[in-house]
Amino acid sequence: MHIERDQELLHGLAANDDKSLETIYLENFPAIARMVMQNNGSEDDAKDIFQEAMIVLYEKVQEGGFVLSSRLKTFLYSVCRRLWLKKLQSSSLSAPLFGELEETTAAEDALEAHLERDRQFKQMEEAMGKIGEPCKTILEDYYIHRQSMQDIAERFGYTNAENAKNQKYKCLMRLKKLFFAPYK
Amino acid sequence: MNDIHLIQEIERYLDGEMSAPEKEAFESLRRSDSAIDRQVTEHRLLLQQLRANGMRKDLLRRMDSIHAKAEIPVAPPALAPVVPLRSRRRTWLNLAAAASIALITSLATMAIMQNNAKRSYTSKYEDVRRVLNNIQRSQNALIRDISKNNPPLNPGTYGGTCFAISRNGFMVTNYHVIAGADSIYIQNNKGEAFKAVSIFEDVSSDLAVLRVADSNFRTPALPYSLKLQPSRLGQEVFSMGFPRDEIVYGMGYISAQTGFNGDTLAYQVSIPVNPGNSGAPLLDNSGEVIGIITGKQSSSDGIAFAVKSGHLKRLLDELPKEKFNRRDLKQKSQLGGLNRVDQAKKLEEFVYMVKVYN
Repeated sequence: MHIERDQELLHGLAANDDKSLETIYLENFPAIARMVMQNNGSEDDAKDIFQEAMIVLYEKVQEGGFVLSSRLKTFLYSVCRRLWLKKLQSSSLSAPLFGELEETTAAEDALEAHLERDRQFKQMEEAMGKIGEPCKTILEDYYIHRQSMQDIAERFGYTNAENAKNQKYKCLMRLKKLFFAPYK
Repeated sequence: MNDIHLIQEIERYLDGEMSAPEKEAFESLRRSDSAIDRQVTEHRLLLQQLRANGMRKDLLRRMDSIHAKAEIPVAPPALAPVVPLRSRRRTWLNLAAAASIALITSLATMAIMQNNAKRSYTSKYEDVRRVLNNIQRSQNALIRDISKNNPPLNPGTYGGTCFAISRNGFMVTNYHVIAGADSIYIQNNKGEAFKAVSIFEDVSSDLAVLRVADSNFRTPALPYSLKLQPSRLGQEVFSMGFPRDEIVYGMGYISAQTGFNGDTLAYQVSIPVNPGNSGAPLLDNSGEVIGIITGKQSSSDGIAFAVKSGHLKRLLDELPKEKFNRRDLKQKSQLGGLNRVDQAKKLEEFVYMVKVYN
C-alpha cells in the first residue's frame, strides 16, 4: 500500500532518519527536475525548488499532526509546482503556464504556513548574523548541538564553565533583543 | 533571583528538567508574575526558532550530500505546443477584459460627472428635517403586523423641531417638516407627547403653525419674545433643536443678512445644524427670537439659514385673535441678563420635537 509506506517514510523524516530522507529524496527528485526543466528551469533551479519543498514537508511533519491526504509524490509535486510558478512569475511577466494537474489543498495550506516560517527563519538568521562570534557558535553549540557548557568552555578557552555560562547568557540576551526587535 | 538564574530556571522548565514540586512552584510564580510569564513565552519562542533554524540548515546539509546520488534526467525538450496556445488565448482574454473594464469605467465616469453637474444646480440647499425610519424598520413593522396582529409603535417618518408661541399650545415650525403629514405629534424633552394639528401653513416663508389638539394644554409664561428689528451682522445667536431624540444646543453668529441665493426673508447663520433642526428657534444674546432655522447649504459646512422673525410676526397676525393670544409673545424676555446655561435651561421647556407620520 502506497499510503502506508508514505506514512512510514514521513515518520522517519520527522525522526531525522537519514535513510527515510534519502529514499524520499531520490524517489521524488527526478520527477520534479523534469517538471522544472521542461518549464524553463535549470538543474540548479530544480534542486532549489525541490529542497525548499522538502523543507516545507520536513517542518510540517516536525510540527506534528500532519496527515497526508494524497500520495507523498502528489503532495511534493504540487508544492514544487506552486513554488516554481511563483518564482517564474516573480522573475518575468511572461510566465509559461504548464498543464493543470490535480491540486491538493494540503499543498496550498502547507505553503501558506511555510511563508510565515520562512519569514521567522530569515529573521533568526539575521539576528544570528548580527550577534557575531563567538556568540553565534556558542549559542549554536549549546542550544542546537546540545554540547555541555564544560566542552564549550574548553573549546573557547574560558577558565571555567561558569565564565562560559555568563558569556552565553550575554549572547542570548543580545540575540533575544535582535530577534524580537521587529515586533516591538 | 538574578537574571542568569531566572533564564536557567526557565530553560530547565522548558526542557522538562524540573521535578514535580519545582515545576508546580514555577508555574504558580508564572501565574502570579506576568513579567516572568512573558519572559518564559519569549524564551520558548526564541529557542524554538533557534533550533528550527539549526534543523533546517542541518536538513539542507543532509540533502546536499544525498543530492550527489540523485539521478538527473536529461533535459527534455520543453512542452512547446501547449504553452503558446494557452498563452495566446489568454492574451486575447486579457485584452478583452481590459477593454471592457475601460469601457465600463469611462461610461461610469461620464454618468457620475453628469449626475454631479446636475446636482450642483439643484441641491445646494437642503432641508434639515430628519428621516426617522428606514426601509428595514418598516419591513420589520410589516412582519410584526402580520404575525402578531398588534400594531407596532411607529417611530414616525420625519422629525423636526417646533417651539411654543403662546401658552395655550400654539407652536411654530417649518412647513417642510409637516408637509404631507397624516398626523403630527410633538414631544418635549421629558418625553411627554401631544397630538398636534397644523392650523396655518405658509409655503413661501416655509413656516407652519401647529396647535396642540388638547385644548387644556397650558405652558408656563413664555420666557422669550419676538424681536422685530432686523439683527445685525456678527450678532451672536444660539438655538436648541432635536437633531436626535435629545435636545441639542448650538451656537453661532449671523453671517449674512440674506439667505440662500439672496433670499431677503432669511438670515445666513453660521451654526452647526443637522437634520432634525428644522423649525428650531434662533435666539440672540438677550433671549429674543430672531428667526427659525430652516435649512443649510449642502455644499459647505456650517452655513445654515433661518427665516427672519418679522415674517413669523406677519404670519401670527393672520391667526384668529380669539384663540391665539398675541400678548404671550410680547412679554419682556425673561432670558436677558441670564448666563447661557440658565437661558438654555429655561428655553428647553418650550422647544418640542415634531414627529410626523405619513
